[in-house]
Amino acid sequence: MIKFIFKGILRDKSRSLLPIIVISLGVFLTVLLSGWIGGVFSDMIDVNANFITGHVKILTRAYAENKNQLPNDLALLDVEELITNLNSDYPDMEWVKRINFGGLLDVPDENGETRAQGPAVGRAIDLLSPDSKEADRMNIVNSIVKGSIPAKQGEALISDDFAEKFSVNIGDQVTVFGSTMNGSMMFKTFIVSGTISFGTALLDRGAIIIDISDAQLALDMYDGASEILGYFNEGSYIDAKADSVKASFNTKYSSVDDEFSPQMFKLRDQEGLDQYMTLADSMSGIMIFIFILAMSVVLWNTGLLGGLRRYSEFGIRLALGERKGHIFKTTIYEAIIIGFIGSVVGTALGLGAAYYLQENGIDFSSIMENVTMMFPPVYRAVVSPDLFYIGFFPGLIAMTLGNALAGYAIYKRKTAQLFKELEV
Amino acid sequence: MDIIKINDLVKRFPVGKGHFTAINKINLSFGKGEFAGFVGPSGSGKTTLLNIIGSLDTPSEGSTIVMDKSISELSHKQAARLRNMYIGFIFQTYNLLPVYTVFENVEFALLLQNISASERKKAVMEALEWVGLTDKVKSKPNMLSGGESQRVAIARSMVKKPEIVLADEPTANLDSKNSHHILQTMKTLNKELNVTFIFATHDEKVMKYLNRIITLEDGKVVSDKENKS
Ligand SMILES: Nc1ncnc2c1ncn2[C@@H]1O[C@H](COP(=O)(O)OP(=O)(O)OP(=O)(O)O)[C@@H](O)[C@H]1O
Ligand SMILES: [Mg+2]
Repeated sequence: MIKFIFKGILRDKSRSLLPIIVISLGVFLTVLLSGWIGGVFSDMIDVNANFITGHVKILTRAYAENKNQLPNDLALLDVEELITNLNSDYPDMEWVKRINFGGLLDVPDENGETRAQGPAVGRAIDLLSPDSKEADRMNIVNSIVKGSIPAKQGEALISDDFAEKFSVNIGDQVTVFGSTMNGSMMFKTFIVSGTISFGTALLDRGAIIIDISDAQLALDMYDGASEILGYFNEGSYIDAKADSVKASFNTKYSSVDDEFSPQMFKLRDQEGLDQYMTLADSMSGIMIFIFILAMSVVLWNTGLLGGLRRYSEFGIRLALGERKGHIFKTTIYEAIIIGFIGSVVGTALGLGAAYYLQENGIDFSSIMENVTMMFPPVYRAVVSPDLFYIGFFPGLIAMTLGNALAGYAIYKRKTAQLFKELEV
Repeated sequence: MDIIKINDLVKRFPVGKGHFTAINKINLSFGKGEFAGFVGPSGSGKTTLLNIIGSLDTPSEGSTIVMDKSISELSHKQAARLRNMYIGFIFQTYNLLPVYTVFENVEFALLLQNISASERKKAVMEALEWVGLTDKVKSKPNMLSGGESQRVAIARSMVKKPEIVLADEPTANLDSKNSHHILQTMKTLNKELNVTFIFATHDEKVMKYLNRIITLEDGKVVSDKENKS
């Protein structure tokens, strides 16, 4: 009987082709969009983690309260000891210190007079230790427009926009004005080793990147850091793990009574990422639900039309002694076969497209120029294992549901009534 | 032994608020191997009567006993089984399934029974031999002439070796040569396999072949005669 149904489906294009196209399309979109959304959100989380939040981040309690002001007077001290402890407490994580500071960037002319000046956002990271992964993490080498990464103390990368605007060349000097950790006046001159553009306004605007040892020196932050970021060796953010690390750290090191005691935050606690992650989690579910619904309605209608077209076939089968229930059952089998084919095709196409977008991505940096949130410039899809079934079952269910609804209408008629309508 | 017994059969159809009586107190019986037919003007109740005998419809009053089963008391399942095992249908519009080959159309009737593939093949080929279509096994219905299509329909109704074949205007769409051809075929099957045939028809050509002619008018039997042919 199954063989018989199968032949019917294969030969009757109108019975199979349209539903297969509808399902393939729906499944294709579900798979592709899921891959896309998954990719975009995980890219966004990775970029945030790498540049700003870490998988976990340690600040002093006081710094955390005012962190928008980059209050280095409230920064962490005795950082080396803390990192040593962290390394032994959490051996499967990497810990890095960073200093963020604000100030003015001054470009002198050949006489040492100010030629141009602009607000600067300084980032000091470990650029010079041979085993530091920080330059990789921030994708610095690939983001350099001109020149090269600082090779020794006293060198800096500055934003390419800034360099263009004030015609700063490689090898020129720039001076950073600001205040030290103790609140006294600070100015320090760097040699521009290169210019950099991350493609994100938030990172590029007035950026200067120097080695952490230079910053500690200039800002009088001996053995100090604005923040310590922790990264899981697994490479990606794991919320449950972040929770347990955070809980154990805060119990051991943090004290409510001491505003200079360190406090740990997980990625999800920071920068509104919680909302994004919640959204990411529910997005696929919502999307799949909408697709099932839409596809079912379409397939229900094609099922009804198909059913009408096949009235005389059903009539004949009734006359030949087939039970209505059996006819209903075989139309469901048909739906499952068609749904299966459509789902396979749609999943394959969706995976292919998602794979393409994973490898190539789409560059949104020009659209995002004025966005101040932390967005990655290039969006990629991610081909994750769940893509293999995320559209597959909805496709199957939509087809079966659609046909079941249509078949039920026929099933409920009395045989005699049906037979009359069949006009056999 | 009668294989069909109809007692005081009444069939009413709801029409608007009232109802229309299509069959009005009919009493008839048919023995095994009859070659009989209902004739009469359009609307006299021929099709309605065939449908009730074929368990596609149920009586409003009275009883219809087919193969010792009372049609009005059968469940859906039992009615389907009765049709499947004992009754073949032939219609005016041949009603072949368009996507299937001649072979598959005939085979379909057997798929509902538990018959092995090799036995099915044997039975289908035999049935196609009866109607002289063994050379069209692989053809699709749209490649067949009207006469050929109706012969496939006959093969389909005969393949399961039913007790009763109900034929509603089987020649209405055929020319006279094809009509005679299929009637001869059916008559031969009637004689050789002792299958009961009951027709509903306006067609004079059909009437000539019938052994018994039952004339209906307004849902009543007005005559029931032997017919020597
Ligand atoms: N489902 C129905 N609802 C209402 N009236 C019906 C229904 N089926 C049949 N009738 C009526 O019952 C009467 C008998 O119909 P039937 O089809 O049995 O006639 P018939 O003798 O086969 O006619 P024809 O020679 O035109 O085929 C007709 O008047 C028809 O209109
Ligand atoms: Mg009729």
